[in-house]
Amino acid sequence: MEWLEILQKIFIAIISASAGFAVSGGVFTTLIVIGLMPRFAGKTHTAGHIFFYEEMVVIGAIFGTIFSVFYPFFQFYKWIGNSPVWETVYIILGQLFLCLYGFFAGIFVGCLALAIAETLNSIPIFARRSKFRHGIGVVILFMALGKSVGSFIYFLKQLFVCGGM
Amino acid sequence: MEQKTLYIKLEKNVEITSEDIFLKDLGSIYCEDDNIVNKCKCIKIGKLRDVNSRKIISVMKIIELITSQQPGIQVENIGEPDVVAERIEREKTKKWKEIVKISFVAGISFFGTAFTIMAFHNDIGIIKLFNGIHTMITGVESNGYSIMEIAYSIGLTAGIVIFFNHIGGKRITKDPTPIEVEMRIYEDEVNQTLIDSADRLHLEIDTDK
Repeated sequence: MEWLEILQKIFIAIISASAGFAVSGGVFTTLIVIGLMPRFAGKTHTAGHIFFYEEMVVIGAIFGTIFSVFYPFFQFYKWIGNSPVWETVYIILGQLFLCLYGFFAGIFVGCLALAIAETLNSIPIFARRSKFRHGIGVVILFMALGKSVGSFIYFLKQLFVCGGM
Repeated sequence: MEQKTLYIKLEKNVEITSEDIFLKDLGSIYCEDDNIVNKCKCIKIGKLRDVNSRKIISVMKIIELITSQQPGIQVENIGEPDVVAERIEREKTKKWKEIVKISFVAGISFFGTAFTIMAFHNDIGIIKLFNGIHTMITGVESNGYSIMEIAYSIGLTAGIVIFFNHIGGKRITKDPTPIEVEMRIYEDEVNQTLIDSADRLHLEIDTDK
């Protein structure tokens, strides 16, 4: 029965590698088409470093994949010994990391959400229909505030648990 | 006297450090007669008073200015019909300021994509899904570290690297990468929007006729 097991392993390897290939194609084409990176680079006048940003996208995606696919393995808090000094250092570094991660991921997702809305041309159509000429900045500001309030309510009221009911 | 032709090729977008805009800043110029080229290079087109201010200049104004200085000359524009001139600071912006900006955008790129792919995996419940497929084929549940996860990660990495065409600062082929292409498209669109809206509001430097 040895050969059957090997055959199974090879089959699994082929389908999962193809799956990974297809997922990366799909997810990253979407991200590129939406064009967030050029916008960030354009806004900060650092278009010369676009190659570096792209590198960060590549590495970020690889890290994200490894951490989420091998999720049971990366339980970092279990790696810390019983020494209280290390524990304090770990807690501080951990909070710092979570802070950074949440902040940057939040910016990215916020931009992504509006960029997708913009790809569907909802804002220009809305502006034309409502005959707005000057208030569009206020509309965008309130959209952002609404998203922010919604996000806070979602986490405070724990709406992710059964819709908060 | 034989009629001379002056060829100019305007850029889409130029950055200028001084207050005055000269023709030589806006593109390249060629004429058989070097004297004419040198005179034309120093024609003043306009002024940019503040740093970061912009002016959109039509080629018609440039032709008007050249012909008023060199009567009887024929001007041929090979490049763009409109050029966006932007004034930037003479000194490069401070080094640390740029480093802060770059690390900020790099942080968004890194954590943002990491979060996106993790959110996607969370959405589809990848651990459960892998376990299901593993059980379907082998008949036993996986412990979470099977060949599947490894092959998937390798496949995904290969896909990303091939898609973006580079890793570790090295290009695999000489083609521009997708984000570089997207950057150019974005810049072109911004330029076109600037030109079109300047045209609509009559802010473009154009001939008065």
